Amino acid sequence: MNKRLLRRLDFTLIFAAAAIILMSLVVIGSATHINTASGGSFVQRQGIFAILNIALAVFLMNFDYKMLQRYGMRLYWINLALLLAVMLFGHSALGAQRWIQIGPVSVQPSEFSKVIMIISLAALLEDRVGKLNTLQDLLPIVGFVGLPFLLVLKQPDLGTSLVFIAIFLGMVFAAGVNLKLLGAFFGVGLLASPLLWHFLKDYQKMRILVFLDPNVDPLGSGYHIIQSEIAIGSGQLFGKGLFEGTQSQLDFLPENHTDFIFAVVGEELGFVGAAVLLVLYLVLLWRGVRIAQDASDTFGMLLAVGITSMLAFHVLVNIGMTMGIMPVTGIPLPLMSYGVSALSTNIIAIAILLNIYVKKQRLLF
Amino acid sequence: MMNEFETRLKVLGGLMVVIIALLIARAGYLQVYRGDEYVRRSDGNRTRLVPTVASRGTFFDRNGQSIVENRPSFVVSLLPLTAPIQPEVITRLSVLLQVPREEIEAKVKAHTGYEPIRVKNDVGPELLTVIEEQSELYPGVIIEVQAVRDYLYKTQGAHILGYVSEISEAELERRKDEGYKTGDIIGQFGLERVYDQELRGVNGGELVEVDVTGKPVQILGQKEPVSGHDLYLTIDWRLQAATEKAVDDQLALIGAKAAAAVVMNPQTGEVLALVSRPAFDPNLFVHGISEKNWQAINENPYDPLDNKATTGEYPPGSTFKIVTGTAALSEEVVTPTEQILDTGVYWLGEKGNAGGEVLGWLDFTSALAHSDNYYFYEMGYRLGVDRLEKYARMFGLGEKTGINLPYESEGLVPSRAYKEKYLEDEWYDSETLDAAIGQGFNLVTPLQAAMVMGEIAANGQRFQPYLVSKIVDTEGNLVKAYTPKLLSALEVPDNVIRLVQQGLRDVTKEGTAAGVFGTNFPVDIAGKTGTAENSQGADHGWFVAYGPYSNPGIVVAVIVENGGFGSQSAVPIGKRILEAAFGLDGSVPVVSVPQKKQG
Repeated sequence: MNKRLLRRLDFTLIFAAAAIILMSLVVIGSATHINTASGGSFVQRQGIFAILNIALAVFLMNFDYKMLQRYGMRLYWINLALLLAVMLFGHSALGAQRWIQIGPVSVQPSEFSKVIMIISLAALLEDRVGKLNTLQDLLPIVGFVGLPFLLVLKQPDLGTSLVFIAIFLGMVFAAGVNLKLLGAFFGVGLLASPLLWHFLKDYQKMRILVFLDPNVDPLGSGYHIIQSEIAIGSGQLFGKGLFEGTQSQLDFLPENHTDFIFAVVGEELGFVGAAVLLVLYLVLLWRGVRIAQDASDTFGMLLAVGITSMLAFHVLVNIGMTMGIMPVTGIPLPLMSYGVSALSTNIIAIAILLNIYVKKQRLLF
Repeated sequence: MMNEFETRLKVLGGLMVVIIALLIARAGYLQVYRGDEYVRRSDGNRTRLVPTVASRGTFFDRNGQSIVENRPSFVVSLLPLTAPIQPEVITRLSVLLQVPREEIEAKVKAHTGYEPIRVKNDVGPELLTVIEEQSELYPGVIIEVQAVRDYLYKTQGAHILGYVSEISEAELERRKDEGYKTGDIIGQFGLERVYDQELRGVNGGELVEVDVTGKPVQILGQKEPVSGHDLYLTIDWRLQAATEKAVDDQLALIGAKAAAAVVMNPQTGEVLALVSRPAFDPNLFVHGISEKNWQAINENPYDPLDNKATTGEYPPGSTFKIVTGTAALSEEVVTPTEQILDTGVYWLGEKGNAGGEVLGWLDFTSALAHSDNYYFYEMGYRLGVDRLEKYARMFGLGEKTGINLPYESEGLVPSRAYKEKYLEDEWYDSETLDAAIGQGFNLVTPLQAAMVMGEIAANGQRFQPYLVSKIVDTEGNLVKAYTPKLLSALEVPDNVIRLVQQGLRDVTKEGTAAGVFGTNFPVDIAGKTGTAENSQGADHGWFVAYGPYSNPGIVVAVIVENGGFGSQSAVPIGKRILEAAFGLDGSVPVVSVPQKKQG
């Protein structure tokens, strides 16, 4: 990476992402009792993977994102193959078949498939921008996203499949889809949702019922939401202090280093800490939209919109879930939740954003 | 560039702001607006109040001898904190403790929450050692230490002391205003019940921080428990033992099952001994009584839990002639010297003495000494039921004595009012005759019988019977002292009481109890036998007595249910109690004996 490149980096975006990753390491440390003898090695692991992925991101800056467009369809098929592989060879955790063991690492292909989805959809949409006015225009796109969507839903991974919908909506919206058409499509989808209900597993149905009223099952599915709300609420303005959150430290809060990490932030760092984190996410997302606006080509714009939509959806659904305004779907918080697959995906996605930003500026020179 | 899509991207940018603003607003609502509420819920999650049970007060007799203590009991329990109890652990425990598998499994199945599941109480040290040394074979098994009541003398004094057990749902509902909580130990009977508030003390506790499994993490606060107060009884434990032995020996001898005895100081009201048979062992209740033991108690037709000394109501039989005689002399329906001829069968009702005995000419004292029914029929006839009722009530019959034991009975005084109210019938003169000799509509408790005799002994003074002399705290400071309480006095001329006393003394000299007491009994005793007819079975035998005659320190009442003649069933018991009280059996005397005609 040369000096000219260095000067053209989006430092605001890098600062926001780096701040979130640092905060993540601290909070994961607290959530996994790193201050006690029984503490795990989660911080170490997450930190190592963060550094490796940042190195990979730096290396990727030598390439031009535009070459991705050429591989769009190939990546799409690889994606489908991966998702099928999960279905056939994956091992399950928490009732869902999502993992593939590669050496010492359990890989969650559905995490990577989100970014692959964005790249291939951007490639597909690139020459259709502004030409999405009829059902005939839209249906191929729907089919294109629908196939991997159904494969992920079948795993079952409702969260990731919903992320696909968010990516789809954000990108076709930016691609200038006829809003009436999109509205009609949505209407049909809404009407079909009772049908979808039948495809949900019992635990997924329970999650939705519990979302509507956590007290349906206070010791089962509702327990997570209730304990998470207690954790966040009891943090009050300034929090109980790092390592001092009783809900988290005494294990009342389940999965506090993965999906419910925001509850630890809320409990130990208070409203102030939570608001700082949320503002950092706003910076991240805002830069995403700005990069889309400034992108040198349609493909870059679509990529940036897809990545931003994906991140925004994750932030909204994950944090909303911990505060009881979104159902429990098992979507991790980008750059915060422990989990190396999601961390890699998100750092690569941000690297792509940076790449789009760099290339835009080269045009201006 | 791409101006046609600028607007849409601006909308997306706006959407990002809206999303983050929504989340910040929600966080503010939870953390700032409703923060206090969630702090309370979070504290509720992590803190547990672990009560430290206050040490229950103990009992001492009048001489400071310890009667009831608390002892540590080792309980083997299961605590399924992190994982369910494995079946092989239950099997091992079942074999080791000899508790049926099904019983343990049922308890485990019914278990909720984080309280230990008690498998067996009072486990001996050998078995505890096995569990401790092979703890890897017993995961989830814990040993708890509990302080339990130890009634040192088992059944002795059971009806005085009572027993304790865990508070029942119904009792808790009724008494929660008094500070009782679920799982509290409460006195259920006897003094344990009456003085529960004094004995229980104030429980302390620890505010403990726990993790999600309920495992304590640290102690946040502590409150020391305050031990309960100790009770010093009026009971003389040695005399109590002697009284129980006298009763038990006699019951075994004559094959009777139920009896009661009351021993008091007539000049103060202090109860020195109080016995009811059959008895029970209060130790059986300390861990919750077993089905088998409860069945044995519950199905015993003589009701071991019934304190017959205070709740049993019996026809007083001839012991009532004390009342009839006092009434007759006081009302001057007869003079002390008037001779009445017992011709065998009284003209009204055509009844006479049991066994048809005919005693000929009798004055007041000899009629009392020989318990002549003919004479007292005549007295009853001359007095009428109303005057009989008046004197019975003057002696305190028909009402509770107010002794500090629960469930006391009132007895029944013969009266027109009673018959009209409950039988809707008028009073007949023949019923007055029955009442005059302690039959018919006439019921007393053994305690009341002792009271009547005691009033004669104390020259008409009626003292309230009581069982507790003082209450002291654990440091030995006096909390409360009880002193004799004069309830009333007989409003009769002094010479009347003296004449009754003389008649009663002659009972042991030449009358119905002379056969048992013999001529050489070293202490002058006044007594009265009685044989109460019982429609359900054999007669009940009575004996009431006091002594020494000149300065009475003790009054005794004994009844043997279905024991037949009082002179044969109850008098031997009374005599042995008196011997023990005066130290005539070689023991230390409870009551000092005036120096007279030794040997």
